[in-house]
Amino acid sequence: MSILLEQVTKSYGEQGILENFSLEVNAGELFVLLGSSGSGKSTLLRIIAGLTPLESGRVLLHGNDVTDLAPQKRGIGFVFQNYSLFRHMTVGENISFALDIQHVSRRERAERVTELLELIGMAGLGDRFPSQLSGGQQQRVALARALAHQPQVLLLDEPFGALDAKIRIQLRQNLRMIQQRLKVTTILVTHDQDEAFELADRIGIIERGHLLDIGTPSELYRTPRSRFTASFLGNANLLQGQRRNGKLYVGETELSAAHGPDCHGNQSVDILLRPEEVELAQHPDQLQGQQIGRGIVQDVVFAGAAQRIAIRLLDSDEQLTTLNALLNTSDTAIQGIIPGSQVWVGFKHYHVLPQTPN
Amino acid sequence: MAELSVSTESLKPSVKSGSAVRFQIPYGTWGLRFAALCYLTACVIIPLIVIHVEGFRYGLDVFIQSVTRPAALRAVGLTLWTSALMTVINVIMGTLTAYVLVSYKFPGKAILNTLIDLPFAIPTLVTGVMLVLLYGPQTAIGGFFETQLGIRILFAPPGIVLALLFISYPFVVRTVQPVLMQLDVDQQEVAYTLGASPLRTFRRVILPAIRPAIITGGLLTFARALGEFGSVVIVAGNIPMRTQVASVYIYAQVEAGDMQAASGVSVILLLIAFGITLGVDFLQRRNPTHA
Amino acid sequence: MREVKLRSPLQFMLVGIVLLYAGGLIIAPIAAIVQGAFGKGLDGLFAALTEPDVIHAFQVTLFLSIIAALVNLVAGVVLAWVLVRHQFPGKRLLSALVDAPFIISPVIIGYVLIVLFGRQGWINIPGIQIAFALPGMLIATIIVSMPFVTREVMPVLANLGPEQEEGAYTLGANRWLTFWRIVLPEIRWSLLYGLALTFARALGEFGAVVVVGGAIQGYSESATVYVFRALNDRNKIGAYGVSIVLALLSVVLLMGMEQFKRRPKTLDVIQEEVQDVDFIGTSN
Repeated sequence: MSILLEQVTKSYGEQGILENFSLEVNAGELFVLLGSSGSGKSTLLRIIAGLTPLESGRVLLHGNDVTDLAPQKRGIGFVFQNYSLFRHMTVGENISFALDIQHVSRRERAERVTELLELIGMAGLGDRFPSQLSGGQQQRVALARALAHQPQVLLLDEPFGALDAKIRIQLRQNLRMIQQRLKVTTILVTHDQDEAFELADRIGIIERGHLLDIGTPSELYRTPRSRFTASFLGNANLLQGQRRNGKLYVGETELSAAHGPDCHGNQSVDILLRPEEVELAQHPDQLQGQQIGRGIVQDVVFAGAAQRIAIRLLDSDEQLTTLNALLNTSDTAIQGIIPGSQVWVGFKHYHVLPQTPN
Repeated sequence: MAELSVSTESLKPSVKSGSAVRFQIPYGTWGLRFAALCYLTACVIIPLIVIHVEGFRYGLDVFIQSVTRPAALRAVGLTLWTSALMTVINVIMGTLTAYVLVSYKFPGKAILNTLIDLPFAIPTLVTGVMLVLLYGPQTAIGGFFETQLGIRILFAPPGIVLALLFISYPFVVRTVQPVLMQLDVDQQEVAYTLGASPLRTFRRVILPAIRPAIITGGLLTFARALGEFGSVVIVAGNIPMRTQVASVYIYAQVEAGDMQAASGVSVILLLIAFGITLGVDFLQRRNPTHA
Repeated sequence: MREVKLRSPLQFMLVGIVLLYAGGLIIAPIAAIVQGAFGKGLDGLFAALTEPDVIHAFQVTLFLSIIAALVNLVAGVVLAWVLVRHQFPGKRLLSALVDAPFIISPVIIGYVLIVLFGRQGWINIPGIQIAFALPGMLIATIIVSMPFVTREVMPVLANLGPEQEEGAYTLGANRWLTFWRIVLPEIRWSLLYGLALTFARALGEFGAVVVVGGAIQGYSESATVYVFRALNDRNKIGAYGVSIVLALLSVVLLMGMEQFKRRPKTLDVIQEEVQDVDFIGTSN
């Protein structure tokens, strides 16, 4: 293991508290900590960096206990959301700051700066001042500066938060490439699920100081463990279902076990249907997957490659349940679907959320 | 030139580059502008002109002769070196005070913050009276310094420097403090994560960022101190060639009716003070690293 | 920057140095004057403060300060308005000149007034005595306390922008009404604060009034000038007593205004502060 948090406790913000928070991040992994603001994700990052002291618990980097070590001695690179470049220094001076502190020779420093500038695609711009750079360039310099002293661990706090959408996507790919090349253990904190999906080897979902879910992007998307994760990552239709005698029902419709996990006991459960798993058809036998009933189309929104369709389910216990479907514009089933028309609704895949006490 | 155009829209306000509204009825605008200029002229421009006209009234030779009298030279010299010494101390202590106020939580902080503004409120003449009471030869502190250490504080340069320090303390603190406050917290922390110790972080990261504010605050403090009168006339006394600073020299010459001597030194003081102000302006405008 | 609790010895030392310095520089002299003024007890202080010369001196000072504050209030707003809202050549230079009274020695200002209005002065108005009399002292007081209102109001006005005024114009309000209903409510705190600063500065003015007024006992003698004479006459209680009253007046006034200014932290005050910070930050 490369980064290990054991039972970390720390109160932050107005009421926020991290309580007995534990996390393992593997060597060379790019781990994304995903959460909304106030979830405690940034505090966690600052604790790993040693910038915020913790109340109890331990932090281990590469097996060494660094809990009481000053940030200067932890061998980390930290990238802040607003870049925080030293404005009175050139790009080159910024990047070589850590090496300068370590009294690395001038020649070696210059070599390393050239190398890093190439890595971030900014060769030849070492003499510029931060004020002469675009936001995206400043961000890349901040990354290079954090990597210059070859840290064991790279921590990024909302690194693309202040950039506009297009540049953000470019920089993500850039970061992914750099991280894979250097194989530095990385934790990135963000509130942006697209960013998490695109970058992460694994994602941790954090909310109010608790780690709700952890896994690869596809695991979290397909088989989330909590309602929060299900609706935080992508769009989710959450239906109330019942377990009766080992079988699963939505209303009176029995769901075939082939499309979901085994069921035990009698209780109500949450069932997750992703919009793209929802099927619509004029006749029930045109449905490929499980049928769940009839519905009335309420709204159709054209969104380029796909169309978002809202359907109110009829004939179910919960008559007001509205399902969102996402259908390819090229899908033939979409023909003739306009608000007000009746359709048969089904789905190809569903996931039953594990029951949690709360 | 919006106000020159005569158009059908002449009764509507026309906007120029989003900054000033101009009406086609110029009387109000011109009246206001005229009143403002009169006020500024009467308060600032006329005094400046009068001093220079009076100073050079009898030609350059007389001017030079009036400012090269030994007493005048001594007075200007004393003013310059005491002000400079005060500025150095004040820049160091003022910056430290601002840094401590911005960076640390400690008991008494609110009191300290209020205390710093007091010199600004207290009349400078009263400052002089206070220092006489504290450091006068008959007082415990003044007596101790004089008899035990052989240092005379009052009616001597140390008293002048103390008075100037007192009245100038708020200026450097209040110039540096806002800059420190808006300084990116993260910059300091980035430096920590890159291995820089707190001292090194201060020297390499914080100090360069606040240096322009420190220099500005210091120079303005110095320019102000050159003309200080109320406190200095009391702590320094009025002994020509020894404790007479420039402003007191001018006062003494006016009292004695020697207008030529007074205006000569006045011109010198003003030239130095305005030179510094221009320098500050220049420093503020020239800066390659900040856009 | 982020405030932290004191942890390392170095941090304790830095705070200690600052507290010692501020204490020695500021508290010690204040303590000394309080002790000095009460040296002969409350009765002695009371007697010293009720002398006819003292009462007259305070009357002169209050007269000068009130008139100067009012003049600078009105003229300062006009000047701020013109410097912020109007466009004309030389505006930058004029803005810079507003600060000039801060760095011109008050003695020089008094001296200029003597040159202009003195016995062989440039200007002689028959029947009106300006130098060595109250009118001269009033002019001197107005000049030395001139920049405050303008300096306080200008940033708020600049930050306010012309949009609200333009909005009022489109709704049919004339300029006078717009000023009273739209602009004045926005600048009132900075205006009051500037007024207090002006008044405090006028209260404590010494150099300019002593030179132009000629320090004629019982006539052109303001409170500060009285202190100066009392010191020379070795009338210690009188000097210390009047000093303390002067200091108290301006300290209470300014600290009170400070509270006043802080409390209603409306958007314009916050913006003003942000702008102040920006000004220094970007000019680096």
